[in-house]
Amino acid sequence: MPEGRRFGSVVVALGALLVTAAIASLGLWAGGYDVGEAAGALVAGSVAGREALLSVTLVRAVPLVLTGLAVALAFRAGVWNIGAEGQLYAGALAAVWIGLHGGDRSAWFLIPSVLIAAGLAGAAWALVPALMKLWLGVGEVITTILMNFVGIYTVAYAVHGPLQEARGVFPQTDPIVAGARLPALVPGTRLHAGFGLAVVVALGLWAFFRWTRAGFAVRAVGASPSAARISGRIHDRRVVLWAFLGSGAVAGLAGGVEVAGVTYALYEGLSPGWGYTAIAVALLAGLHPGAVLVAGVLFGALEGGAGAMQRAAGIPAAWVGAVEALVILAVLAADQAWRRSAALLGPAPEREPEGGAGA
Amino acid sequence: MPLLARLSGITRSFGRVRALDGADLQVPAGMITGVLGENGAGKTTLLSVLGGLVTPDAGSVEVGGSRVTFRRPRDAWQVGVGMVHQHFALVPDLTVLENLALGRRTSFWGLGLGYDALREDVADLAERTGLEVSLDGPVRDLGVGERQRVEILKVLLREPRILILDEPTAVLTPVEVDRLFSLLRGLADEGTGVVLVAHKLDEVLDVADRMTVLRNGRTVLSALREEVDAEGLIRAMVGREKADPAAVGHGADHALRAPVVDTSPPVAQLEGVRVVRSGGQEALRGISMDVRRREILGVVGVEGNGQRELARVLAGRLKPSAGVVRLPTGVGFIPQDRTREGLVSGFSLTENMALALHQDRTYRRGPTLRWGALKETTEELVRRFDVRARGVRTRAGTLSGGNQQRLVVARELQAAKNLLVAENPTRGLDVAAASFVHEELSFRRRIPDGPGIVLISHDLDEVLSLSDRVMVMIRGTLVDVPHTQRSRQFVGALMLSGVHA
Amino acid sequence: MPEATVFTAFLEAAVRLGVPLALAALGETITERSGVINIGLEGSLIAGALGAALGALAFDSPVLGVLAGAGAGLAVSAVFAAFVVGLNTDQIITGTAVTLGGLGLTGALYQARFGVTGTALTLPTLRPVSVPLLSDIPVVGPAFFNQAPTAYLAYLLAPVLWALLFRTEWGLELRAVGEGPSAAQAAGVRVRWLRLLATLFGGTLAGVAGAHLALAHAGTFAENMSAGRGFIAIAVVVLGRWNPVWVLFAALFFGAASALQFFLQALGMDVPYQLFLALPYLLTLAALAGWVGRARAPASLALPWPRSGPEM
Repeated sequence: MPEGRRFGSVVVALGALLVTAAIASLGLWAGGYDVGEAAGALVAGSVAGREALLSVTLVRAVPLVLTGLAVALAFRAGVWNIGAEGQLYAGALAAVWIGLHGGDRSAWFLIPSVLIAAGLAGAAWALVPALMKLWLGVGEVITTILMNFVGIYTVAYAVHGPLQEARGVFPQTDPIVAGARLPALVPGTRLHAGFGLAVVVALGLWAFFRWTRAGFAVRAVGASPSAARISGRIHDRRVVLWAFLGSGAVAGLAGGVEVAGVTYALYEGLSPGWGYTAIAVALLAGLHPGAVLVAGVLFGALEGGAGAMQRAAGIPAAWVGAVEALVILAVLAADQAWRRSAALLGPAPEREPEGGAGA
Repeated sequence: MPLLARLSGITRSFGRVRALDGADLQVPAGMITGVLGENGAGKTTLLSVLGGLVTPDAGSVEVGGSRVTFRRPRDAWQVGVGMVHQHFALVPDLTVLENLALGRRTSFWGLGLGYDALREDVADLAERTGLEVSLDGPVRDLGVGERQRVEILKVLLREPRILILDEPTAVLTPVEVDRLFSLLRGLADEGTGVVLVAHKLDEVLDVADRMTVLRNGRTVLSALREEVDAEGLIRAMVGREKADPAAVGHGADHALRAPVVDTSPPVAQLEGVRVVRSGGQEALRGISMDVRRREILGVVGVEGNGQRELARVLAGRLKPSAGVVRLPTGVGFIPQDRTREGLVSGFSLTENMALALHQDRTYRRGPTLRWGALKETTEELVRRFDVRARGVRTRAGTLSGGNQQRLVVARELQAAKNLLVAENPTRGLDVAAASFVHEELSFRRRIPDGPGIVLISHDLDEVLSLSDRVMVMIRGTLVDVPHTQRSRQFVGALMLSGVHA
Repeated sequence: MPEATVFTAFLEAAVRLGVPLALAALGETITERSGVINIGLEGSLIAGALGAALGALAFDSPVLGVLAGAGAGLAVSAVFAAFVVGLNTDQIITGTAVTLGGLGLTGALYQARFGVTGTALTLPTLRPVSVPLLSDIPVVGPAFFNQAPTAYLAYLLAPVLWALLFRTEWGLELRAVGEGPSAAQAAGVRVRWLRLLATLFGGTLAGVAGAHLALAHAGTFAENMSAGRGFIAIAVVVLGRWNPVWVLFAALFFGAASALQFFLQALGMDVPYQLFLALPYLLTLAALAGWVGRARAPASLALPWPRSGPEM
């Protein structure tokens, strides 16, 4: 977190949210929907009342916070990991495999195993694009996206084939054993211990960036690999590799937590695109781990409320995807606007000579 | 002589910084006008106004007697103003011919390429001016001098009546400078108005017919060559008497400094060091050298002879392909490119300090950084080295170039307990900042436990005036300059002995 | 005889599946040559598919449907260009957002128009046109020269775009903008204008690719029917080394990879269907791994320009 930007990030995020809300309302109005009714349904379905807040919004927030943290970690290191979706599926697959074969072992053994396996699987999924980037010089943007599709179809194959439920009716796995399931965080609601885990990971990542030398190295490499290498004597390629794998692990954890905390089984379309929404979450949070927690809950409320909006006002749920895109674009625009106004108030930024070394 | 262009009362601000504040410039035909001033005085901005790259906030530009408004470079050439840029405006991955064709738009609707006509024009021009270049290779394979010839050729193809050159000599060897100046003289004799910003005062004094001096965005002096002397010009430039001879390149007599007799073991040693670039080309071919405490070892050479690799090997940033490297702990490195390699522009001053010091025991505790200690050190260094910033939380990218370099020098001197490697440490700095760097380097030489210093530079005057020992880098090898042979002529000739083409 | 028929059918499917990749990749080649990487191509593609479906239904004409698809692709890329060229925002992030928005918006519009139940939509299709003589060549003829008109557009565009890039001043300026925008500007080239045009051109062709998908390939529209083809097209540009002619061949190669499932099924091989769906993505990854070292992207690709201020 470059110190001077904190204030800017908050202004940018709030401005972006206002703009998004305005445009989204305008879109609904133009589409002939009742904006007031929609907004009412959104609030009622997401934050009004204990049930909506704890069982819907916060439960939805868990995978968004975790994948958002994965994206924030990667982007901070200058790694364009657009592959959280595939890494999440890899994590879910590993988690469900452990969960299915757990037998009657104790939760003290099974739950950590499930989570570790999910993290390792996510990291393994990230290893392919990471090595292609570092050894072969293939940019990670396309490779991580391609790995998303491979992950989605691998899961599809698994739930149609080797891991399909014993009944053989639906393309899904049997439920995982009881010992592999995450306990409830608030009894009587669907909120599970995964939320606590997401908070811990967020705080851990915050402390990592703020206090540790390794976290500083990640930020330095992300901000300027050449300066990190030359002035910082930081092994930039090694940092990129570990940040990439760490990002994959956190995204994989998101998949494992979803399986162990919510669905208890794996099926096609487990994720409605959390790995992509994560980019909006991370950007809105200015890549700050603490703020990812807030942004993740906000998006959880949006996704939770979208269902209510569809039921109450007939608004298609796919509309959420468009709103997420709007958030990203609004953050980008607000960030530019903030920078330009800052440039007018502060000293002129120096123009760099053209490097052209390529990305 | 008729006046080709007149700029009066030009004002231009970037953000809150006023780069030009009512500057004037006259360009007479058939004369070379030298534009002088410290960095930040507004030279480049003023020339960019005439070249159509920068639109002034106020003031008037007249070309050929009538007032003009330039919105883009094309507007400027259409009335006969051509500009050769400081950073070459060539596309490295296109061929020379393609670069020359770029923007010419000769064929119908841009459908087609008028290469044959272009080749003829280039041949004619080469005959007239002696500017010879081969047209068919990519620009990236050319040396700096050749690239500049291409750049000049590109501008001359548009047959300008006014030719602007922004610091064309900064990257050239003495012989190339002479060649460039005789070309400019020839163009002026044909009636072209030449405007020249040069790096060094003595070069401008050699070639220019008229002088225009800028200070703080204003024109403070405009006179014919014979009406002014060096002292007067320096006074006008800096607004005070004192000037650092090494930085302005004037009057440097390279007083023979007694060689250091230091019998202590060397702090750093290279033996038979070789470095192979990724293309298979050898950048260093068997370098052996010793560096001793309290000496400044100057390495000079034409750019691209392996200095970059030598600096990185000595600084411990690059592993050689072969050979033995013995380096001490506590090595400081001032890289040439401070915006890309020296600093992270988005980091605060404290974070930039941490960049070089994060492995130092004083500033770490287990896996964590001691930000408190780092902040104290940064505050102290900022004070001691007079880095002008609003505070240590300021982002480095908002500092001026000179202050950025002060920050890097301060930090690397802090890190350099035993060895300091400085790579073109004054490139692009104004007179005051350059003399600050020179004083700091010389000062370290006098402290009892001071580090050994390797000064790698392509500025011959800088190396000759600061170093205890001088070596010349030629095609990946080092040649010792005997103490008695330390003249500008001898070393300059040695530098060029390895230059191909 | 039946084997030849099966092979012809395979080739025909390869071309039919390769054409949308080719169209999108040819457009993206021009975009990337100007220094812009449009990850939002997928958004243009899906918008093109929906636009074509709606257009074809409204006018009951597949040709007008293709035009509507092109317009929709253009509109989506205009949003991308407004941010990337106009505001100089990060190309990767902006492109990702545009793809998300394109998929979300088309899904919402489709649901709003046709309901969530999803009874399959039947569209007036773009029928194959057979080229006299050429389509009579045994085996290959019917595969390559009995195709929808969009296929012929792809065949035609590859050499035309090659000539544009390497044999005209326009192409020289475009390449210069991608390799060194500041130098190009100094030479009088309008950098942002060319980048805008190149991006819009790429979006338009991606729209046509989407139209081909809806009207010539599927005969219907389904949510997310682009299925990552926009991303594969970007990989195809890399494999074709930013050269339109090679890009066409690379696209047809990936069409063949996608068509392989039909071929092997026809030969009676039992390989799980889902693994076949993953095959084109795996092949793209493998090809990138084996190929990329030798290709070099335009030097300013994905970099903001003008470069000023701190990096993000």
